[in-house]
Amino acid sequence: MLPRASNTVFRCLLLATLSVSIAVGANAAGCPDGDAVALSWLDKMSRSLRQASYHGVVTLQRDDHMQVMQVSHLVGDGSTSERLIELTGQGAQVERLSHPANCIHPGDRLLRGEALLPGQSCGIAKHYRFTVAPGGRVAGREVVRIVIEPRDMYRFGYVVDLDKETGILLKTQTVGHGDKTLETMQFANISYSDDPPELSQVDVFHKAQHLHPQSAPAEYPVSRAWALGWLPLGFAATDRSTGTNDRRTYTDGFAVFSVFLEELDVEIRAGEGLVKRGGTTSYTRGMRLDEQPVLVTVIGEVPVNTARMLADSVDWVQ
Amino acid sequence: MLLDRVFRQLGMIGDVLNMNEKMGESLSALMDDEANELELERVLAQVSQDRDLRRSWIRYNLAQQAVQGSQIACLDWDISERVKSSLEDLRANDPAPAGITFKQRMLRPLVSLAVAASVAATVVIGGQQLALIGSDGAYDYGGSVATNASPVGMLNSLGATTVQASYGMQAVPILQPATSSAYQELALQRQRKYMQEHAEQAALNAPQGLIPFVRVPQIQE
Repeated sequence: MLPRASNTVFRCLLLATLSVSIAVGANAAGCPDGDAVALSWLDKMSRSLRQASYHGVVTLQRDDHMQVMQVSHLVGDGSTSERLIELTGQGAQVERLSHPANCIHPGDRLLRGEALLPGQSCGIAKHYRFTVAPGGRVAGREVVRIVIEPRDMYRFGYVVDLDKETGILLKTQTVGHGDKTLETMQFANISYSDDPPELSQVDVFHKAQHLHPQSAPAEYPVSRAWALGWLPLGFAATDRSTGTNDRRTYTDGFAVFSVFLEELDVEIRAGEGLVKRGGTTSYTRGMRLDEQPVLVTVIGEVPVNTARMLADSVDWVQ
Repeated sequence: MLLDRVFRQLGMIGDVLNMNEKMGESLSALMDDEANELELERVLAQVSQDRDLRRSWIRYNLAQQAVQGSQIACLDWDISERVKSSLEDLRANDPAPAGITFKQRMLRPLVSLAVAASVAATVVIGGQQLALIGSDGAYDYGGSVATNASPVGMLNSLGATTVQASYGMQAVPILQPATSSAYQELALQRQRKYMQEHAEQAALNAPQGLIPFVRVPQIQE
């Protein structure tokens, strides 16, 4: 369910105020040398979604499997509306209507060089190395290519192609260890216009939730407060989920991961299970925390080992 | 109020980070088969004194080997010297410059692999430490098959069987990876259960708009 519009605007204003109060410029002294041109392109990419209306067909290649979807993005009067329709597989439609243009979530703020975390004023340049490379064409559009290499082993790298004119992200390759491409998202075609395309027929319709950093829904609360004892540097919480909520989600601007905790009422053998699809890792660990059997699941666009270390660091708040 | 909470939470995390970051990175590299000699040495130097580190390494190894379907031998924690000597052998053949970078390390896969192999061959887990991380039933020295009910009804096979093995004069339990296929199924179930909730967050905080939803196996309305 989408929250009421007035509530949404109020919360986003509050968020914007907070962001100003804790933001520090990305160019603070002592930061690693970042490619200023690349960083300004990423800033443009982040803002472009509030400026350009477009429609297109996008493919997502993961392992040997390709999915095709139709996306449309409309910038209206102070808000944006997005729609995604799967043309393969389930054929679901997902939409987010009237998202206030001034509602900037933590991921975008990191991309714009804001430092959300105390003591980490260098922003994303501290965790990734950026290089601008010559780009070709994607979906018939001239692109600028930015190669994004992680500075540690807790996150993946990316190669992104941005529309030279609009800054819209037209292609992303997620790159794992050994320069292996794990996942490729790219536009097959794109047109910039305000006219919505003809809609395909859909079987499943989902309204994307608008989860604020101030919100903390607790659908499956656990009985005790828990916390992660370790986080890869540069990851900021996407919302206010703390204490007994069963989920925590963090982003560094490119990667997002969520950690879920379940209390079990029966014993479980210690062990782990892993599902990898493209750049997404889904890792489940059974273990005990103070005699209490629990199941920890980490889902996100991070390497397996990061997921494993996150699961290992889960503990009750004493 | 949000700020207070954020700072409080991060302050706590920051302490742990300061203490463990370097070691965590080395351990991580080791477990990902990407450790260089310096990192291996760092872990080995610390592991005998640091209970938490030891516990982490044991957990990783146990979990990793269970997933790979190999048996886990429960021996004494005596590996440091053996690994150190195999490391010295390696170094005699291929001396490593001090302070090599991540990139340089990645360009030396043969050495990394060799180091990883030597660790894999010699990492052993003490019975006492193993007892810390397993459930009681897993260490039934009688060798019977554990049949505890699993938390997800359908996974009756979830559990380890124990068999008798001989190491020196002492009977040592070996944890067989009966769990691996069950955990695989469990991970798949959890992926289906949680992926959409994760996608809701990713769609607001990653640069690809609604595209994270396409990764959801079955979108719910």
